[in-house]
Amino acid sequence: MRVNASTVFRLAGKDLYLLRRPLLLAVTLGAISVALARSNDHSVRSLGITLALNLFIGMCFHLVIGNVLGEREKKTLAFVLAQPVSHREVTAAKLVSSISMYTLCGLFAAAALVSLSPVGRGLTPHLLGWLAYFGVTLGGFLVLFAIVLGTALVSESLGWTMVVAGGLTFVLGNGLLMFGSRLTYLTAYARNLVHGGAALPATLALEAALLLCLLTGTFWLQERKTSFL
Amino acid sequence: MIPRIESEPVPALRLRQLERDYPFFHFGPVDLEVKAGITLGLLGVNGAGKSTLLRAILGLVRADSGTVEVLGLPMPGREHEAKKQVAWVSEDMAPYGSATIEWHLRFARGLSSSWDAEYARELLNRFGLHPGQKARGLSRGQTVRLLMVLALARRPRLLLLDEPTAGLDPRVRHEVRQELRDLARERYTTLIFSSHLTEDVEVMADEVVILHDGRIVRRAAIERLRAEGDLETVFLAAISPNAGARLPEAVCA
Repeated sequence: MRVNASTVFRLAGKDLYLLRRPLLLAVTLGAISVALARSNDHSVRSLGITLALNLFIGMCFHLVIGNVLGEREKKTLAFVLAQPVSHREVTAAKLVSSISMYTLCGLFAAAALVSLSPVGRGLTPHLLGWLAYFGVTLGGFLVLFAIVLGTALVSESLGWTMVVAGGLTFVLGNGLLMFGSRLTYLTAYARNLVHGGAALPATLALEAALLLCLLTGTFWLQERKTSFL
Repeated sequence: MIPRIESEPVPALRLRQLERDYPFFHFGPVDLEVKAGITLGLLGVNGAGKSTLLRAILGLVRADSGTVEVLGLPMPGREHEAKKQVAWVSEDMAPYGSATIEWHLRFARGLSSSWDAEYARELLNRFGLHPGQKARGLSRGQTVRLLMVLALARRPRLLLLDEPTAGLDPRVRHEVRQELRDLARERYTTLIFSSHLTEDVEVMADEVVILHDGRIVRRAAIERLRAEGDLETVFLAAISPNAGARLPEAVCA
């Protein structure tokens, strides 16, 4: 069964229109976090980090709840599926709109995070180096978001989505912070990454591949469903 | 006005041995053929399988076995083509609360090649809906009317309605039924609607299918059922446990 690109973009456009206000707020907060990152004051810079991180996490929750799970909860998914569209087009549109909105906010938040990091601040005059770290940061968050988004689309369950989102954010995140330094291969990898070694392009490529696999996997699992409401 | 077509060789719907298993419910096997241009009422108690049947027709529920043909097009293989000619309104459906009626019309028009803008405006006026109104502020009756406008303006050949009059006051229910009757008569649209209200079925349907425990237990023309007595009594008799003895004859009726 084919997918009509114009239908997908029309459906994705609908999502962007309906979430235009939170999106505008997120972009504004992202711009503020970038501005804070340029401050010489350590406390203000920390505030920028907190804001950027919260934006990444907050938008992840907001998009999966509002844009994906909310459609079923508010019975608007039935309205969309009553139109001359296929379930495959609806899934594709959800992936396109959610990833686009997350990336838009992420552009600002990743810029703030990279600029604030010791690596990023040293690289500011070197555009390519800065872009590489920017890509790694944004790519990492997109991979995590794709896992949460895929869970929401496939499971259609708020519970499972929260378990995965919470697990990735708090358990994995805190676990890495607490135990990461004890793992020698992980510290060696981080050192290589910071110094712009082979780990940098490898990480970028790995993130791109993971993102592609996750989106394809979500689509594949959706295709195997036998009930769409 | 589109001229009424007197006969259409392809049935609007053909279901063959349709079955679907759920953890606590088995739907089917269901065989059903619906001629184009008729209004078919699906009557059944809550949980009889009416919504499952309508969703299976629309491809929203995939059967474990059996086949579905909508307007001669096999589902889900030719879902795209079929859905262009099929509209669906359900009580489990809602418009976007933060968007206006005008926005909904634009959205639906953008996805439908057969959208009739003039008819949509006419229906809005007839139903007393204002394009600038937000869906959030609409009453249950207005919401149903908006969903009807969005479905009817697509000029579907097959219209599926899942409990369309549920929760409506008598005046709105009368208006909705009237519009649907006009549509079926003037546009040769096939209507399949579900209801647990015998009154809806009696007023609107040409033929009635009674569903019980996921199976068709009775199919007959409305005149025939009326001749047997009060529709509610006929319905209750059809779903009573001792109705099984006359099932073969009843299904074929």
